[in-house]
Amino acid sequence: MPSNRTRGLVAGTVALATTLLGACESSTPADAFRADAEALKRGKALFAGTCAGYCHSPAVERAAPYLFDCTWRKGSGTDQEIFDAIADGVPDTAMLGFRGKLPEGDADIWRLVAYITTSGPGC
Amino acid sequence: MRYGKFVAAAACGLLFACQPPQGTGTETDAVAPAEGETASEVAVAPETPTHWTSDGNIGNGLGPVSNDDLLAGSADTEKWLLYGGNYANYRHSPIDDINVDNVAGLRVAWAFPTGTVQQFEVSPTVYDGIMYVSSSNNRLFALNAATGELYWRYDHQLPDDLRLCCGIVNRGVAITGDTILMATLDAKMVAFNRLTGEVLWEVTLAPYADGFSATSMPMIVRDMAIIGIAGGEYGVRGFFDAYDVATGELRWRHYTIPEEGEPGVETWAGDSYKTGGAPAWTSGAYDPETDILYWTTGNPAPDWNGDLRAGDNLYSNSLLAVNPNTGERLWHFQFTPHDVWDYDGNTQLFLVDVERDGETISAIVQANRNGFFYILDRATGAFIEGTVYVEELNWATLDENGRPVVNELANPVEEPDYRVCPSNLGGMNGAWTGAYNPDLKLAYIPSVESCQYYEKGITVFQKGQAFLGGTPIPVDVEEGIAHGHVSAIDVNTGEVRWRYMDADPMMGGALSLAGGVVFTGNQEGFALALDAATGELLWKFRMGGGMRSQPVAYQAEGKSYVAIGSGNFTTFVAFAGGPTAIPEGGHLFVFALPD
Repeated sequence: MPSNRTRGLVAGTVALATTLLGACESSTPADAFRADAEALKRGKALFAGTCAGYCHSPAVERAAPYLFDCTWRKGSGTDQEIFDAIADGVPDTAMLGFRGKLPEGDADIWRLVAYITTSGPGC
Repeated sequence: MRYGKFVAAAACGLLFACQPPQGTGTETDAVAPAEGETASEVAVAPETPTHWTSDGNIGNGLGPVSNDDLLAGSADTEKWLLYGGNYANYRHSPIDDINVDNVAGLRVAWAFPTGTVQQFEVSPTVYDGIMYVSSSNNRLFALNAATGELYWRYDHQLPDDLRLCCGIVNRGVAITGDTILMATLDAKMVAFNRLTGEVLWEVTLAPYADGFSATSMPMIVRDMAIIGIAGGEYGVRGFFDAYDVATGELRWRHYTIPEEGEPGVETWAGDSYKTGGAPAWTSGAYDPETDILYWTTGNPAPDWNGDLRAGDNLYSNSLLAVNPNTGERLWHFQFTPHDVWDYDGNTQLFLVDVERDGETISAIVQANRNGFFYILDRATGAFIEGTVYVEELNWATLDENGRPVVNELANPVEEPDYRVCPSNLGGMNGAWTGAYNPDLKLAYIPSVESCQYYEKGITVFQKGQAFLGGTPIPVDVEEGIAHGHVSAIDVNTGEVRWRYMDADPMMGGALSLAGGVVFTGNQEGFALALDAATGELLWKFRMGGGMRSQPVAYQAEGKSYVAIGSGNFTTFVAFAGGPTAIPEGGHLFVFALPD
């Protein structure tokens, strides 16, 4: 089995990430999803199907930023900043906004936020 | 050489109305006015030039490229005019004064930098003592083919928000008459005077912001330049076009996905045909005897989730036979129906005659990205034979008609744990070439062995946004077992005669010489020469950057040369497997034997 960054990083980091984020940011809808295995599973599926591949690959750095190393090009990586980047896109880049596009709307964006923030090393 | 667009910002009159051109490395270095100064009094640094033209007094006076020149192709050793060397795509030169006995003595004759990063995938074009070299980021250089002297240069200005899947690549420029043609990453085609470098016309193939781009060398058929579009990862509707070389006028467009009411639309569930991809991002082949153009297509979209596009998804991953005068489709053969692995069907086509049971058959052979080597009837598209040319293939077998019988375990799932072979890079891939030695009847195929997991996910279509449906997980890279080879395949049988093995996936193009040598390169940065009959390594030279280009051979001033580009894309190295520590940067090396 591969020891890759794409797999098996969710469960063990949920509590730590929640604690660290909670210390510097008010509550967001991502908080509940971080503690919800089904929500994280859907966040993972959304990420694999919509964000990864040839863009934000969790396996290698591609043209789009790698999202699991706690460094952020926009802001400091708060839940709201990540949500806004997904929802509204990043101007003058190939990153378009997904507000109103995903099957379950804002909730799916928050599930993505939850997945992204719990799948790295813990920031 | 003079600056073609040397325009100082002050000439615009209103300083702040002048916006620096978008793209790479061309920002105007304007100085802000100090207090009390007006804008018109401020010294302004000149805009970085992006186009250097020539007075046209270059070359050997050979005159315009004729249709006969194109039909002869690389048989004329002083020219390399077509991506495939000839219309049958042999990438074979009759040059034999570089051969198995002396190739070990090859030395660098000259070299030239591109100043750009990512893959340097060019197949140089040579005519009239001039070599035309395009690089990543759509730079175009005209060089003296014997000395490397720069004659003219054009840097296409690109927007910052290109919609690309796989790098800022370009694979070369077409030539006919006195015109050079380059397709661009922002989905345009630009025509140049071959002697001066001046732009003759520019056309937009499609809006780049909708997911379109163009990376391949246009293909000239008579007075038309044929170019296909990329964008299979963005859910575009794929197409290839024929343009009038003289005017840039569109002659015809062949869409690769049918519309409502057209045959084949029933192979797409619901409205999925509207976002189905099937790009046409590589060059084709042409049979002048039958006047049939052959073009190929790429993956259906989204790549790794086929749930919403049930059906065969015609004409994705297909070989299309087309009337070049009208663009009308004559027949098709689909390699990978309902693809969920990203097995674009657009690797190099070789038009060859094969011997089967004592009979000579005009055939098309192709080492497909899906790992099968196909032998098809060139007149009808009928399936003759399919063999496995990669070491590992487990996604399917072929039935008697060449249709895959899919291994259900290979389908993408949410939690994958099954190594699927080959990878979505191949096997072979349309981003690089093979070569064919007509004397030995062997096709030389650089290949990847890097199996993957395929993770299926949730996706939605949004115009201009990647539409992927899942992601490949490069498990062999993570395990350190990804590798590559050049396989020599007998086109009569599809059997592998020999393999040259390499520690990394081989993703550079190939060239065959009548001297019995095959040139290619590896990701470690070596240019390689192999014995065409045995695969024995005869020569290698460390160029530095990984080899991702399409080598060519030509003669200039009575001397034989082999040109090979160096320069890789680290992201792709990490994805396919290879030495990620080697820096990026394009560099062309031209080799010759000592006098």
